[in-house]
Amino acid sequence: MRWCGLLLLLLAGCAAPDQRPEIVVQRFFGECGVIHGGSTDVAAADTECGILTTLFNRFEAENPDIRLKVNVVAWPGYPQLAAQIAAGDPPDLVTMHQSVISDYQDRGLLEPMDGVLVEAGVDAATFTPAARAGVVKYGRVYAMPWDTIGRLFHINTRLMAQAGLMRDGKPVLPRSPDELLAQARQFKAATGKPYLVQAHVNAPDFHVALLYTYLLAQGDTIFPDARHVRLDTPAARQVVALFRQLHAEGLTTRNQDFPAATARFVQGGGGIFPVGTWMIGPYDAEAARPGSALYRSYAIAPFPRLWGQDAAFVDGHAWVMPRAARSRSERAAIARFLGFLARYNADWSRTGQLPAFQPVLETDSFRALPHRGDIVAIASTGTQLPEHVRRQSAIQGLIGEELEAAVTGIKPIDRALADAERRVNRLYAELP
Amino acid sequence: MKSGGAPRRLEGLAFVAPFLLLYGVVLIWPLLMGIGISFHRADLFGAREWIGLGNYATALADPVVHQAIGNTLLLALLIVPPLTALALLLALALNRATRGAAVFRGIFFSSSVLSVTIVTLIWRFILTPDAGLLAVAADALGREPLPFLSDQALVIPAIAITTIWWSLGFPIMLFLAGLQQVPADVYEAAALDRAGRWTTFRHITLPAIRRTLLLVVMLQTVGQLQLFGQAQLLTGGGPGGGSRTIVLAIFEVAFGRWELGYATALAEILFAMILVVTLLQYWLVTRREDAG
Repeated sequence: MRWCGLLLLLLAGCAAPDQRPEIVVQRFFGECGVIHGGSTDVAAADTECGILTTLFNRFEAENPDIRLKVNVVAWPGYPQLAAQIAAGDPPDLVTMHQSVISDYQDRGLLEPMDGVLVEAGVDAATFTPAARAGVVKYGRVYAMPWDTIGRLFHINTRLMAQAGLMRDGKPVLPRSPDELLAQARQFKAATGKPYLVQAHVNAPDFHVALLYTYLLAQGDTIFPDARHVRLDTPAARQVVALFRQLHAEGLTTRNQDFPAATARFVQGGGGIFPVGTWMIGPYDAEAARPGSALYRSYAIAPFPRLWGQDAAFVDGHAWVMPRAARSRSERAAIARFLGFLARYNADWSRTGQLPAFQPVLETDSFRALPHRGDIVAIASTGTQLPEHVRRQSAIQGLIGEELEAAVTGIKPIDRALADAERRVNRLYAELP
Repeated sequence: MKSGGAPRRLEGLAFVAPFLLLYGVVLIWPLLMGIGISFHRADLFGAREWIGLGNYATALADPVVHQAIGNTLLLALLIVPPLTALALLLALALNRATRGAAVFRGIFFSSSVLSVTIVTLIWRFILTPDAGLLAVAADALGREPLPFLSDQALVIPAIAITTIWWSLGFPIMLFLAGLQQVPADVYEAAALDRAGRWTTFRHITLPAIRRTLLLVVMLQTVGQLQLFGQAQLLTGGGPGGGSRTIVLAIFEVAFGRWELGYATALAEILFAMILVVTLLQYWLVTRREDAG
């Protein structure tokens, strides 16, 4: 009996190796295997995590000749990716913000994807203008765009109505900094709640998106060249001063991190939550749920024009291929996977993110999704950072930390902006 | 006897050689490599340019590094003495062979087995001013909740309390082990002499566990000077860098900014700090013993 067991063990060890090509996909967007682990019904899935998990399940089911290995990393996952690349063991495909692609492309760490996209049947000419600006660097395609992320005003219309800030069923939004302050004070007086819901703790990208948007609106050049940032300017000072004033007067929520701010808005704790397109899906679900503070009381709008002209700083998610030696069969597997994902881009847009492909943007089914008519223009007019801007992920952390300090009153505005400029320029001075 | 000395030394070396080899490869070699890299402008992906002491000069002039060093020292100061005192008190209380003491020993040790992610999650639920446990309590008392994670004056104490709660188990175990080594007849003699509790503690217990006390203080100092996870997960080093520790700064510089040369220079500075602090502690304690 004991010999039989040993023989079985030996035979098990002699099993034929798996000859299928393996692709390692690394993504953020969270882990939800418990809910969506076995599902392949993409149309029934919801949330970013749910849709992506279901898509991966479906790919595996439809392509049994490919071994798909998925690494889920905590957002944004760049420290892990940098360590993996430095160790010579990068994944095959990685989710990456379009604003970060230049960092890796400039250092020669990404493979141009023109060829693999052709093999996948993905035509780069079908990318939306915003998506194209995000993934094309110096004439070559370095990623397959997945969406365009815009920042919006998510609005609790019940509270806005209570404050007398609704007209013809639409929220009345400010057209200048003074109007914003006046409306915020009016809102607080009528509802007793802050006008804005914001994350001020451990959320550096929050203020950076606001600053970039309103600097672009004023025609300011934030990154004049590849080695300098310009933040210590009158335009930047007046943007930060406005948000400092809102904070000082209690017209915005205070002391909240991103999860707390997200929950606060759902609970009806404030009027407007200036956050990204990715919250449209979850908040729409709340707006349809009787008993929710947002029930039939939810609207969205692009950031209002407070200075200069309409402008939206946009970013997006994309799939990049870190540079590595790969066999022909592995490349073919990657191409098939990318082609599969591209075909499901319309499903991804149910999250609230704007599609990366123009044909999807023009479909009736996309336009029929709630609120999309209000924001569809962002995919064409949204402004990405110039392609020479490097280390955006690290820079966003540095600028965001100084902005948090300025807005919450820890540092004087002038000093915070000067410190942000100094810290970013020092980082650029160290680049090879 | 003398003729067998050399072979015996070789035998002894053979026994410790595998460990020494591993120690050299895993610790000494990376340490030397780190020192070498710190003299370069180096990125994470292999670029190297010799700049001598440039990274050290930058670090000495960098206000972010000054703030991180200050935060780290303050955290060590707020954590190590209370943690040592609390662990010693609990060990004294639990140093008895009863079922209740065994249960409490288990309870106090239980927090130590949690990962830093779980610990910070628990303490976020306690500290967050929006709906945290302390905020609910403050609300019930009609007071404004304190912003523990977003006020520069409160964030370091908040991280210190989180760390003390998390780290209590191991020092308690060390003290219990030390206390159980003290001979019972010494206590009996003290009781016959009608020595009070404080006198017994001061003149018998404390001298007997002096070495354990030194070990706990040194281990905790070394550990807390390398505090990382709590600051990264609870506050991300904020607000305004108010809770950024040196290791968090090293992590950001190396893996966020890819400045490996600068990060290794910071790591060497931290190494020197730890070495100086622990040697100082050791010297202070052993000097008294020698004098005694």
